[in-house]
Amino acid sequence: MVYGTLFSDPGENYKTLDIGREIMSRLILKDLVKKFDNVAAVNHVRLEVEEGEFVTLLGPSGCGKTTTLRTIAGFYQPDEGEIYFNDKLMNNIPPAKRNTSMCFQSYALFPHMNVWDNIAFGLKMRKIPQPEQKKRVAQALEMMSLSGMEKRMPGQLSGGQQQRVALARAIVTQPDILLFDEPLSNLDAKLRVQVRVEIKEMQKRLGITSIYVTHDQDEALAISDRIVVMNQGQIEQVGDPQSIYLHPMTSFVAGFIGLANILSGQVVARKENQVQLELPFGRFWAFAGGLRASVGDTVRFSFRPENVVQYREGGPNKVSVTIQHAIFMGDAIDLFLDAKGTRLRARAESTAKLKPGDLAVFSIDETAFQFLE
Amino acid sequence: MERKNVSSIDYLLLIPGVGFILLFIGSSIFITITQSFGVLSVTGKSQFTIENWKAIFHDKESLDSILFSLKIGLLSSVGTLLFAFPIALFLRKGGAGKRFLASLIKIPLFIPALVAAFLIINLISYHGIVNEALLALGIIKKPLRMLNDKFGWGVIVIQVWKNLPFVLLILSSSLASIRDDTIDAARNLGAGTFSVLFRIYVPLAMPGILVSMILMFIKAFGDFAIMSVAGPTYPPSIALRMRNTATLFQEWDKAAVLGVIIILTTLFITWLYSRLAEFVTGRK
Repeated sequence: MVYGTLFSDPGENYKTLDIGREIMSRLILKDLVKKFDNVAAVNHVRLEVEEGEFVTLLGPSGCGKTTTLRTIAGFYQPDEGEIYFNDKLMNNIPPAKRNTSMCFQSYALFPHMNVWDNIAFGLKMRKIPQPEQKKRVAQALEMMSLSGMEKRMPGQLSGGQQQRVALARAIVTQPDILLFDEPLSNLDAKLRVQVRVEIKEMQKRLGITSIYVTHDQDEALAISDRIVVMNQGQIEQVGDPQSIYLHPMTSFVAGFIGLANILSGQVVARKENQVQLELPFGRFWAFAGGLRASVGDTVRFSFRPENVVQYREGGPNKVSVTIQHAIFMGDAIDLFLDAKGTRLRARAESTAKLKPGDLAVFSIDETAFQFLE
Repeated sequence: MERKNVSSIDYLLLIPGVGFILLFIGSSIFITITQSFGVLSVTGKSQFTIENWKAIFHDKESLDSILFSLKIGLLSSVGTLLFAFPIALFLRKGGAGKRFLASLIKIPLFIPALVAAFLIINLISYHGIVNEALLALGIIKKPLRMLNDKFGWGVIVIQVWKNLPFVLLILSSSLASIRDDTIDAARNLGAGTFSVLFRIYVPLAMPGILVSMILMFIKAFGDFAIMSVAGPTYPPSIALRMRNTATLFQEWDKAAVLGVIIILTTLFITWLYSRLAEFVTGRK
């Protein structure tokens, strides 16, 4: 069974499924606080997730994303704040009664049950009548291309197959909210890229509100309707993948998602919609966007390596540099530049001939500057 | 699955260990069995006979002692499990006082069975601490007979107390191998406390439960020390009966019959528990 064929025939496979349903849930977190030994792992998190939306909590380990997820699932009791599914306060509802389904990093299949019993477990707990159970499990098996594997034990399955059993087990109960706790980190790189597209497609068809936790920015950018970037228990920025990448608002977001040159400098001039910035390696014009700073203020900003390119006649913001490292990546060359003692990251086309030690002239796109809080 | 090559040298290396077992344990079991049929007898002449078996099965005291030991074995193993499993679950989860409780519970491991028996006797004998306390509080008018009682409660209490830490060790390692994610997944899918216990913890801990039940049964069924101190005057346990038959009555061949019965019962119970475990977990 090839994993890639999993959802390749969308219409046909999904038509027979009444797993996707009209009842969906909004999720609201109001000032959520969760402390461990008096240290706030989640610190006043406020978030509203729309019905059917796919929201990713992204951040480094220890940022509180998994704690937030586990609090939504009910494994942790919040110390402060409220959790609502639609209008219903969930704080005191035990995990078993919340009707969420969680996909675990370890898959967490029941090792003593075969594939069928694993998938049917949630239905048994809900006391769904036998014939209905059979129908739904069979559908889930078919949807996940697991037909014929009902009698296998989890230990006899590959990682990818276990993952599919875990997904089948999660959706078969028709949860109000799907929760994903880094579900792809145990798969190899290729499978990971494939499965994340499939999870996204499945979620869109079933229309189940989903919260997805990951530390992998590529995964977050690829899969989400909206990304919530978290750091030290707090939300840094919320936005769709494009705005998070193109318009980071804090140095943390700029640095965590993609590569960025994060610098600070003084505003030395202002005209119309542009500001001139004084940097150790020259003066540069940048589009101000919503920047309120006036002349004399010091501001912090970032720009992406792909906005620092080799100078061409008429190009903006010239900067003379020495090439420190040139790393060939296949589709581009990753560059470390020295601009009068300041290190800059830049990109060059893969055909460029650049060696460490070369002197070169680069230019920085004036639209690329993102001013940070 | 990868199969490792086993050379004849490897088998040679096994000889000291396996050879010892075969030679001493194997031969003594063999002689016990032959003796029960009168062959290779140490007392009287050696001749094949089933008279010894017949005699044992017509002897009321022997039959009573077999049944009594069987009862004590089963109740002690089940009793220990019922006490140990909740403690093992608590220790797995942790919480306040976990370390203290864990070390407190290990104390009986360092106390020999006979000493343990005498310690408990202080508590539950006719004029022991428990009875005196109940009398003083006016809860009972007459001391309760908890020791050398006909049913064998005294023996069972001592067995449970003595073997609790041992069973706890086995169960704890069994429970420790269950991942927290597995429990969370079950709760997430709608399992309440009861379902988590009987559909996840118990089946996954079944190998440990089984091993501890079997070992406990074997200990309690063949026990000599505790039975001789705290057991009823009649019937004697099978081990006591065997000792009496061999040393008091000098009927070694009949004692051999009882020995074989102990071995066979142990094997049968082991088999029975395994079937029971398969039935509970629903797998082979």
